[in-house]
Amino acid sequence: MKKLPPEYYQDLEEIQAIDFALVELTLYLDTHPNDQQAMQQFNEYAQQAMQLKRNFETKYGPLQQYGNSYTDGKWSWGTSPWPWQI
Amino acid sequence: MDNNPKKMFTPVKTYQPFHSIYDPCRPIGVKYYSTPPQLYMGFQPPNLQQFSPKEALKKGTLWPAFWDYYENPYKDKKRDEE
Repeated sequence: MKKLPPEYYQDLEEIQAIDFALVELTLYLDTHPNDQQAMQQFNEYAQQAMQLKRNFETKYGPLQQYGNSYTDGKWSWGTSPWPWQI
Repeated sequence: MDNNPKKMFTPVKTYQPFHSIYDPCRPIGVKYYSTPPQLYMGFQPPNLQQFSPKEALKKGTLWPAFWDYYENPYKDKKRDEE
């Protein structure tokens, strides 16, 4: 079975962490829709998350399917491990 | 409820459930339940101190004010042994 390098997990954890912060900020902004500072933080984190995912996908292949991620040159989506198996 | 107001504040509350004489189990004695911090906060104030995203992921909340550490209150009662 293919073994994933430790950086894979570090990079993925960073994505997970920033995505969780975004979930929290989303819930916060639902009840505090006028907090400009929080919205600015939200956008900063959203940008960071996109950047992290883009880097991750160029290194390890697509995170999402159906056109939400670009494919690499060898259609690595067709072989495991898939993002939800690791 | 036996929340004595003279005691120091604790979010862990207790009560003693009724124990039927026909209950095949031993009486549990005191039951504990935990009350989360948001119950005492009212509306969340803006600009609360935040965890870093990585720490937030581990703690389960972005704000230290909402972090609710749980310690098993039954642990030292050895209720689960035998």
